[in-house]
Formats: sequence, C-alpha cells, structure tokens
Amino acid sequence: MASANSQDEDRHGDEGIMSIPGASDSIDAATFEQILEMDEDEEEREFSKSIVYDFFTQAESTFGKMDSNLEQKNLRTLSELGHFLKGSSATLGLTKVKDSCEKIQHFGQKKDETGTNDISEEEGLAKLKTTIEQAKQEFYDVEKVLKKFYNDES
Amino acid sequence: MTAPLGLFDLPTPPTITPPVSAAVDLPKNEDSLVYDIFRAVPIPTLVLDPALVVVQVSDSYSQVSAAFDREQLLGIHIDAFCAKVTLPSLASATKAIRTAQETARPYQLDEVLLTGTRTWSLRTLPIIRHGTLRCILMELQDITDAHRKRLELEERLYTNETFRILVETVKDYAIFMLDPQGNVATWNEGAQHFKGYTKNEIIGKHFSNFYSQADRDDGKPERELRDALRDGRVEDEGWRYRKDGSKFWANVVITPVYRGDTLLGFSKVTRDLSERRKAEATLIAAYEEAARLKSEFLANMSHEIRTPMHGMLSALTLLLDTPLNPEQLELTRVIQESGEVLLQVINDILDYSKLESGSFSISHDIINVPDIIQSVFRAHQKCCKPEVLLESNLDPLLPTSAEGDSLRYRQIVQNLLSNAVKFTEEGNVRLNAKLQDEDNDSFTILTEVIDTGIGVSPDVAGALFTPFTQFDNSATKRYKGTGLGLSISKSLAELMGGSIGFRANPEGRGSIFWFTSRLKKCEQLKQIENLEEKLDALSCPSPISPFEELKLAAESQRVLLAEDNPINQKVMQKMLTGLGFKHIDVAMDGKEAVRLSTRDPPPYHLILMDINMPVLDGVGATKEIRRAGLQVPIVAMTANALKGQAESYIAKGMTAYIPKPVDRKLLVKLLLNCVKRAEPG
Repeated sequence: MASANSQDEDRHGDEGIMSIPGASDSIDAATFEQILEMDEDEEEREFSKSIVYDFFTQAESTFGKMDSNLEQKNLRTLSELGHFLKGSSATLGLTKVKDSCEKIQHFGQKKDETGTNDISEEEGLAKLKTTIEQAKQEFYDVEKVLKKFYNDES
Repeated sequence: MTAPLGLFDLPTPPTITPPVSAAVDLPKNEDSLVYDIFRAVPIPTLVLDPALVVVQVSDSYSQVSAAFDREQLLGIHIDAFCAKVTLPSLASATKAIRTAQETARPYQLDEVLLTGTRTWSLRTLPIIRHGTLRCILMELQDITDAHRKRLELEERLYTNETFRILVETVKDYAIFMLDPQGNVATWNEGAQHFKGYTKNEIIGKHFSNFYSQADRDDGKPERELRDALRDGRVEDEGWRYRKDGSKFWANVVITPVYRGDTLLGFSKVTRDLSERRKAEATLIAAYEEAARLKSEFLANMSHEIRTPMHGMLSALTLLLDTPLNPEQLELTRVIQESGEVLLQVINDILDYSKLESGSFSISHDIINVPDIIQSVFRAHQKCCKPEVLLESNLDPLLPTSAEGDSLRYRQIVQNLLSNAVKFTEEGNVRLNAKLQDEDNDSFTILTEVIDTGIGVSPDVAGALFTPFTQFDNSATKRYKGTGLGLSISKSLAELMGGSIGFRANPEGRGSIFWFTSRLKKCEQLKQIENLEEKLDALSCPSPISPFEELKLAAESQRVLLAEDNPINQKVMQKMLTGLGFKHIDVAMDGKEAVRLSTRDPPPYHLILMDINMPVLDGVGATKEIRRAGLQVPIVAMTANALKGQAESYIAKGMTAYIPKPVDRKLLVKLLLNCVKRAEPG
C-alpha cells in the first residue's frame, strides 16, 4: 500500500509521512492525505496537527475508560467505546487501531471478531482484554510516527 | 175551448161520515172486478178497514206468509192478525199503519223484513175518499235483489274508503296521483311529510317542482312520464327537493293509471332512501379503506421481501463465479432463475399495489423516446429465439426530448415486447412507434407491438388488462408470470395521459398491443440544456469539474452534520467548508438532529447523518425526520460498510450513504447529486 502512494510522498517532499518507519502498515495513506490536504499552510499544518493531537487525547481517555469498564465486565459500554474510537481512527486512516477497535466493538457484543458468530461472555472478556492491550500498543506505535511527522519527538 | 155539456155534470158525492163499525162495503161478489183486484193481485196485499180490521187478504199474501187458512184471518184486528202470520211483524205493521194514518200518504217502511231467503219491505197506502179514511192497503214488496245489490255496493264503498284512508295516512311513502299532464291530483300524509308541501299548496302544480333545476332543464320529468307510458312503469333513484329547498335521495316509481282505455293519470310512489344511501356510503368508505390498507400492506411486504431477495441474487451471482461441479452449477442456475422470476413477481406486486393505493407518481424528466424504444428493442434482440424475426420501425418525428418518466415508459414497452416475444414461437415481432398527434403543449405517441404469436381469443380479450389474469391457466402453465404486467402497463399508460389496447392481428395470426402516451413538450431552455448535456457527453469532459460545480452550488446550501465523535465532527466540518459550504450546523446525537432539522421552516438543504450515535441513532433520527414530512436528502455515514446494510439504510428513508472514512471525491459526487436533486428541474 505504501509503495502505491509514492507519488503522494513526493508531493509532500521530505515530510511525506509514509517514509517514516512503521507508518506504512499502520496508516492508510489516502485517508491521511485527505486530512493533510485540509491544511491551509503545509509548513504549519495547523488543522491536521490539532486533529491528530485531539485524537491522542481522545484515545488516552478512551483507553482509560476501557480499562475501568473491563474491570466491571461492562461489555456493552466497551463495545460502544470501541465503536467510538473506531470512528475517529478511521477518519484519520489509522487502520490498525481502527481494526482493533472494531474487534473490541464485536467482542463487546459477544460476537467473534468478524461480528458474525456468537461467543460467550467469558470468551468475550478474555478477548477484550488482549485486544484492548493490542489496540493500546498499536496506538502508541502510530502516535510515535505521527509525532515524528509533526516534528514533536519530545 | 169548451167541453161538451154533460161531461162535467157529475153528481156531487155524498158526504160520508166515518163509519163506526167495520162498514167497508167490500164487494163480496167473487165475479166483480174489485174482488179480482184484491184477491188476485200478485203483490201480497192486505186490506184493513179504518178500524184496522183485516177485511181482505190476497192469495199472493197467503202464499208468502204461510197463512193457509185464509178465512180465519179475515175480520180480525191487525194485532191479532200479526200474531198468526210470519209477515209483517206487529211492530213494523203498527208503525207503517200509524204513519199512513197520520200523514194520509203512502208510506214505505225502511226496515227490512226477512222470511227465509227472501227480503221484503212493507208499504201502506191509505185510501181516502171525501176526507174520510176508507181503508188501508198494506203491501209486501219483494226487494230481495235490490237489497242484495245494495249490500254489495255498500261493501264496495267501504273497501274504497279503506284504501283511500290507507293511502292518505301512510307516512313512509309519498303516494299521489298525477293527471295525464303531470300535475299533482292527490296528496297524502307521506308526501306532505317528505316534501313539505300541504295538500292545498301542491294540488294542481306540476310534479317537476320536486326535481332539481338541472333535471328540469334536462327535461327529466317529462321524459319519465313518456317512459312510463311506453314501458308501463318507470323507476328512478336520485335527488328530489323539498319545499324548503333541501334535498333527499329518493326512489321513485311512476306508473300510468288507466280506466278501460282512458289514461287517468299516473301514480307516483316516492321512498326516502337517504338512510340507506348513508349506510351504503359508509360501507363503500370502509371497503375503500380496507382496499387501501391491503395495497399498503402489499407494498410494504414487497419492499421488505425485495431487499433480502437482492442480497440473495447477488450472492448467487458470486456463487456462480466459484468453481462448481456440473450438478451444482445446474442447481445454482435453477435457484438463480427462480430467484429472478420471484423478484420480477415482487416488483410487479409492488408496482401494482402502489398504483392501486394511488401512491404511485411518475416523474417528469426529459426523456428521449426513440432512445428508450431502441434500447428495449436491442435488449430483446439479443435474447430472441432464432425462429422469430424482430423488427422495429420508428417515426423520425418522434421527439428526442419531452417531459416524461423514462423508466415507466420503458416499462410499458418492455412489458408489451417481452409478452410478444414470450408468446411467439415463430414468425415476427414488430415494434412500431410514431408521433400520433402534436399540439402546442404536448406530443401524443403511439407505440404498437405486433406479433404472430398465439394471439388472444375474443372471449378473453375483454379481461386482458384485469389484474392477476393469465390466459394460460392450464396446470402445466407454459408461460410464467403474475398476470400483472398488462394491468400495470394500463395504469402507467393512463398516468401518462394515454390509453392501452389490444386488437387481433389482421394478418390472421397473433396480436397487436398498442398504447399511447401524452408527453409534455419541454420548455425551450430545457431543450437547450438537454442538447448541451448531449454535447458534454459527446465531447471532452465538462470544462467545469464536479468539485468546482459543487463549490458554486454549496454556498447557498445549509447543512446539518449529525456526528457524535468530536474528531470526526471537526474533520467533516473542515471538509465541508473546503467544499464551499458556509452554513454548517452540528448535532451531537440523533435526537438533536431531529430537533434541529424539524424546525419550521425546514432549515437544511442536506443532512449528513452518522449511523451509530448515542440517545437516538441515525436510522431512528431519519425515520423521525421523514415522519415529520421532510424530504431533505439525508446521507448516511457509516463505518459498517457491509454491502447489504448500506441498502437497508436507504430502505429506511436515507437518500444515499457514504462509507467511513469519508472519501472526499466520493463525497463531492454524492453531494452534487443531492444538490442537483433538490433543485427544481
């Protein structure tokens, strides 16, 4: 997918995000490009940056809520949280996080990861636990890529 | 003139003093004339002297009174006499004698005397000479026949009277007579009750007073009398008017009345059917309501069935692309074919029930008639049996731009042509279309499909366009279908201001089905636009990109964005602003979206709706907005981009859907469609 978008990278010069290691398998280039195109100034990247950093905040707080709801075995809320974060991660093209969030959404509804077959509550909880951790990890990975893109590697 | 002398020279009769005893000197001589008169008179007669002693009895009397011993009866007082005989009774005899004595005139007793089978009346005649009562004759008169006739007459009179009273007093019918000219001759209570006129007001007036002005102008009253004379009776149901001008629904029967061969006039019986009519109207309304509900139910059901059918058929198409062994392939094909037939049936029922419930409307796009006909023709050409020659003949005058519904026009042509091909095993099928008529506003187009197929027998031709009718009702049923096609085509043709029909092919075999449709002419401007569109389609891509086109249109468009995720909100807002939209409102959930969009006047040209939202989801919000009667385009945004689901959103009232993450190009295309659609024309 990354190689197919080499032209886009060129257009954004050295700042092409797909050139950043780890980007190609966690970010959908076309979608993210679309966000970048909304920036009025390609140097400042004020709009996309604000969105991305908003997302960081949203993700942190959502993961926090997921942890506490996991403890309370509140599957329904977990599913809703999964859906919520899926929406924003999809908009930004953060495919890996989005996919994991979709799984969280399904497990919370006591369905398997494709959302077609029923699973038990215990199974759901077990899968939720690992998937939430996986989603967090994927989020941290992509967060690094994005921070690097916005030259914020503090 | 003088009389000869001597003739008047009669001697003055001697003064007779009333006799003290029975001194009536009746002739005793049996040979005398007077004796004969008294004795042999055929009327039963008694002669009484002034003292009321019976002095003579006629033989005829002896016979009727059963007085056999005549001699014993003579010389006794009438009181004693009456005790011995059957007639007359003492009371009547006394009364008759007294009256005759007092009045000195003949007296006929009114009372009737009966003996066995005969009826008698009693008459007394006082015989007075020189002011002195000489004797009294008492006669019995046989009145048997006269009496019987009188009784009969009385009975008849009574019956007539009863009928008169019956007719006059009956209140539930207006019954009255008209004279031969139609003027009211009699009037009853019912007539007064129904029509409000009293007898005095209406007698002599013409009965057309009860009719409406329109009926009078039309000559209906006169016509009814004429018809009644011709047919012996006329019955009519309609409005009749009261004196006060109010009307009632009446059943009227007019019958001419004759005596012998003379026309006396007409009897007119009117019933008030207002109540029955009201009941009928209620029934009809209930029936119509039931029919409408049935059609609605059918439409809903068909719609619900169609969605999964589409899913099934697409899955089958995919299945057919997978490697299947010959047996599986065969079975899958059977499923597919049956599925397609079923879908056609469902579509037919859906169309039919929509047409039935009156909720079917045809659109008014610019259509190109020859293009439509040709495209249907080409489609059939490809799958036509080799034994059948398919030809088309299009009038060059057919309009290439007219206002109409291309889909529905196509549907009729398609239906007629596929029927023709279906029922024709060999020979040819010809499709003719020509401009039949043209005026300032519209074109009338005649489309004919002529085949050499099995044809339609004359006895079923009348029911051709009746729903659910098929002419191959045999158990084997060679030709499949719902029998709705022609009925739908008929309704569609009528919606297009035309008609549809059938006639046998004059060449001997097969049928000709034809329909006409009236298409409105386009305004000049639209024609130019149409030409430009054609030009655009022909030449290079349009000089103006969809993006720029949208940007031009977007400025005036107010948009509602319903999205609960703040990040998505922000991105979508930014994207919409970038596309030129200036007025963007945001709703955090479905409920807010409903509240914002249902304000009056409707504030938005367009709504972008997330599906999963708290409080009320996008589907629910759409339903409420539609329920509020708003037709604003609603675009669903969803990450659940499963194929079937997207269609289900549209089924639930959404206009279009776009998968998340929202692709800008796709959004531009979609929004452009919505914006164009919202614009008139």
